[in-house]
Formats: sequence, C-alpha cells, structure tokens
Amino acid sequence: MTRRWFGRAIAIATLLAMQAQPAFAYLEFGVTAGGNQVKLRWPQGTVRYMVTNAGVSNVTVADFQAAIGRAFASWEAVPTASITYQFGGLTAALPGRDDGLTTLGFQNRPDLDRVLAATNFVVDAATGALVESDIFFNSAFPWSVAASGDPNRFDLESIALHEIGHLSGLGHSALGETELRAGGGRVVTASEAVMFPIAYAVGSIAGRTLKADDIAGISDLYPTGDATSVYGSLSGRVTKNGAPIFGAHVIAFDPAARTIVGSFTLNAQGQFSIGALPPGPRILRVEPLDDAEIDSFFDTSRTVDIDFRVAFSDRIVIVPRGGDSGEVTIAVVAK
Amino acid sequence: MTRVHRRDAIALFAVLCFAATSREAAAQNALESGRLEISGGAAWLGAQTFGSANATETTPSGGAFSLFTTSSELGGAAAFDARVGVRIAGTLVVEADATYARPELRVAIANDVESGPSITAVERLQQYMIGGGATWYVPGRSRIVPFVTGGGGYLRQLHDRALLVETGTYYQVGGGVLYLLSSHQDKRLKATGVRGDVRAVIFNDGAAFDGGRHAAPAVAGSFFVRF
Repeated sequence: MTRRWFGRAIAIATLLAMQAQPAFAYLEFGVTAGGNQVKLRWPQGTVRYMVTNAGVSNVTVADFQAAIGRAFASWEAVPTASITYQFGGLTAALPGRDDGLTTLGFQNRPDLDRVLAATNFVVDAATGALVESDIFFNSAFPWSVAASGDPNRFDLESIALHEIGHLSGLGHSALGETELRAGGGRVVTASEAVMFPIAYAVGSIAGRTLKADDIAGISDLYPTGDATSVYGSLSGRVTKNGAPIFGAHVIAFDPAARTIVGSFTLNAQGQFSIGALPPGPRILRVEPLDDAEIDSFFDTSRTVDIDFRVAFSDRIVIVPRGGDSGEVTIAVVAK
Repeated sequence: MTRVHRRDAIALFAVLCFAATSREAAAQNALESGRLEISGGAAWLGAQTFGSANATETTPSGGAFSLFTTSSELGGAAAFDARVGVRIAGTLVVEADATYARPELRVAIANDVESGPSITAVERLQQYMIGGGATWYVPGRSRIVPFVTGGGGYLRQLHDRALLVETGTYYQVGGGVLYLLSSHQDKRLKATGVRGDVRAVIFNDGAAFDGGRHAAPAVAGSFFVRF
C-alpha cells in the first residue's frame, strides 16, 4: 500500500489480491487463502526487520535506523496490542525483493512522483499469513528526521509510522479531511488517524502520534490476552431508502475520552463492525467517503455509495465490556 | 354561636388546652419513642449537566479541527425512594436508603462540519442509589416537625439492557418537614406520617462523561411508619 503525497497513487504489486476484511475494519486487510477470507496478519508475536544500509541527503543511515526504530516503538507501545518488532541489523538488500527478509530502505523512484513510501507483502497462499513485508521510502522526495520537523521536508518518522501500520496488516482509515488542489490531488486539512492515506504536508510532525483509530486497529489485529474480556465492539448497518449501502464511513465518537474511531460498511448487507474499543457510550455518525480516492480503501471493482447526507444515530450506542453493542441501524437520505 | 357561662368557658378552654397539649406531647413522644422507622415514596431527581465535548481531528500544525460538537446531560427523572431508619438517641435517626430512577442520558449534537443534522441522541439508564445517612428532627411540640438530613452512598447506573455498568458515589444534604398523621404511644405502631424534603445531591463519576462531580437538586415525599 502506498502513502500518497497527493493525488493518485501507483499501486505496488502484492502477491495476493487484497480486499477489505468484511467482518472488521479500520480498515484491516483481508486475503483469500485456502478458499477462506482471513485477516492479513503476522502469525508470530515478533516481527524481525532489516534496514537497508543506505542513507539519503539530510538523513544518514543512523538517522534512518533511529527514526524507523521510533516508529516501530510507537506501535509496540500500544498496551492493548501484543505485536512486537525486532531490529535484525543493517543489510545491503533493497526493499521489494522476495528474499524472505522484511526490509525497510530508501529507493530512488522519481517516476512515482506522488508516492512518498509504499509497503508490499509476501503472503502464504495456504494460510494467508504474512511471510515478508518490505517498505520503501522514495528518495526522490526531501526527507527530515529533525526533532521539530523541517519546513521544506517530509518527516520520515511520520511516514514510517504509517507504513509500519500497513506492514502490520492495517489498511487505510478515512478519518481525515482534505481539500482538492487546483493542480490535482488533495491536501490534508486535518486527520485523526496515522493510517489516513494522504500525508500531512512538508514540515508537519503531527503524524508521529498514533490515534485512537490506529490503536483500535492494531489491538483488534493483535489482541492482548485479556482483550476479549476487557474491550468491546459495536456493530450495525447503514441503509438508504431501506436498502443497505456499501462503503459508508462510520465514525464512533467517545464523548468521555473525546476520541474517534472509524469504520465502513463492508458487505452487501450494509453492515459495519468496530472492535477493540474501550467500553462506554458512543455517538455514531455516518458520512460518504469523499475525502480521499475510493481506491485508497476498496478494490475498484466495488461500487461505493457516496450519494447521501451525513447522518447520526438517534440513540447513544453502548460498547459493553467483552461484548458487542448489538446491531444499530442508521438510515441515511440521498443528497 | 353557642353562648356559655364564664365558668364553663374556662373549663372548655382548659379541656381544649389539655387536648392540644396532649397532641403536641404525643408528637414529641412519637419522635422520641419507637426505634424503627420505615418510609417509602416518590422523588424527583434534577438534571445534571455533563458539559461539552467536541469530536476533533488534528491539523498539520497540531491544532484541533472540529467535526461536530456535543453537549451532554442526564435528564431529570422521577424516582422511587425507600428508607429504613433506626432512632439512636433523642430525635436523631440513622437511615439506610435506596432510590431507583430511569433518567435519560442525552447528547445534543450540533455544528457538523458537513452540515449534518443537529439532533439529540438519547439512552435511558437504570439508576440505583444505595446508601445511608442521618436525620435529625428538631425537637418541638407541633405535629409539623422540621428536620435536616445528610448522607451518601453508592451510585450504580446501568446502560442499555444492562450492557454496561457505571459506578460512583453520591452525597446529599437537605432538609424538610414531617407531618404526624397519628401517634399511638401504647401500641406497637408508634406513629404514622408523611414527610417532604429538598436535597442537594452531589454525584461522583457514574455515567458522567468527564468523570467529575455534578450537582443536582432533589425533592421527595414519602409516607412513614414508626415502630
């Protein structure tokens, strides 16, 4: 998956066609393995990664390794997720090779003029388990590891944080607002998920901090031992004129923690589900997916309905401890 | 109007005075006799405001971008109230009390960034207050007896279908009046009456989104018997 600077991204080949996992979302990836739809995830608790022994202008190898390490540490620090990462050393290997090593490194790809970085996967076709995942950072762009950012460069740690989310099995979140640029593409005005597909502009370091949406996603993929009894989920469906709609963006707002977590309706029944949520009341809001390109989230073969107005659930939805809210139906109307 | 002789009038006045004195004495005695007091009635718990919380996203500079705003409250609600008291000295009674109510939790949503509708999302809670306290009746000879009361206890609020339990504490102080309907010094049932009170209740935690303290007024009326 790609981290876009703006505009259309160029897909990096993956060994298996992926699609949104229908039962859970933030988004998580799903793959078809052995005839079954399974979540894309690492089967082992610790992911070992290598760093390509090559720096770029303004970023030494040591800087690069340190920034990558901080990004991995941020994901690993999520207390409700069990995944861990281990630095395996420097390597001369480049990312993107099917060599059994999970490698992160720079590559000069001026042809990908709107792709800051990208992640690809090698997946076990029989089990759907991740075997290898590489991340390349496009050295055609200016990079910075400055603690407070560089107004003319992209923040490496922020972009690494996003790509490591993909490496771990997370897809894109739609918790962000954008404006169309005059010359094409979009510029981010705000977002509330590291996994939003479009990066903040140069100079920003706001993307260095995981948000509630990211935390819920990684916790759902790699739950800790007590997660199923401590956390809960909410689920429901979205309809328009009584018919289910696909691809509606559902936001759950926690008025106590003041956090938001997003999901989508992901099947023909218009159902959505958000797991790994702290118990408590939520306000549900449904909006059309109109702040990024549809193909940042879904296979282009799917028809996403964006012809409806924002709507809220008229009831406060309760996420129970160790259970599900029960189905909540939200009706939307066409624009 | 019946005309009476002066001597008869004095005698009648004396009888009336005796009767009144004996009723007041009975009232006084009723408050200071018997040990067990049981009461049940209805109450109105006032609304609690939980303040506002905005759903926001983070701007590139680290600022907040508002998606929509919310303001929350726990609405006022009728309640059932029961208490059992034990007189421990004079007119001082220590009490255990329980209150049940079904207040409505309301979140008013407004100012949506994409012109979404302004609505109020609601949910009805089951609320239990189980605690104790003390009530002191002002000694006197009237059938109408003022009192002050105070106490606190455990707050338990159940969300939708008891999917989630919120707990907290409450404290209350207030006062009111008791009206004796009957008193029987020589019977097992020492007294009956009604009482009304006004309280200020401070709730801690529970369903409050901010986890803080919130005050609400409460008024209650109950029927009591004393043994």
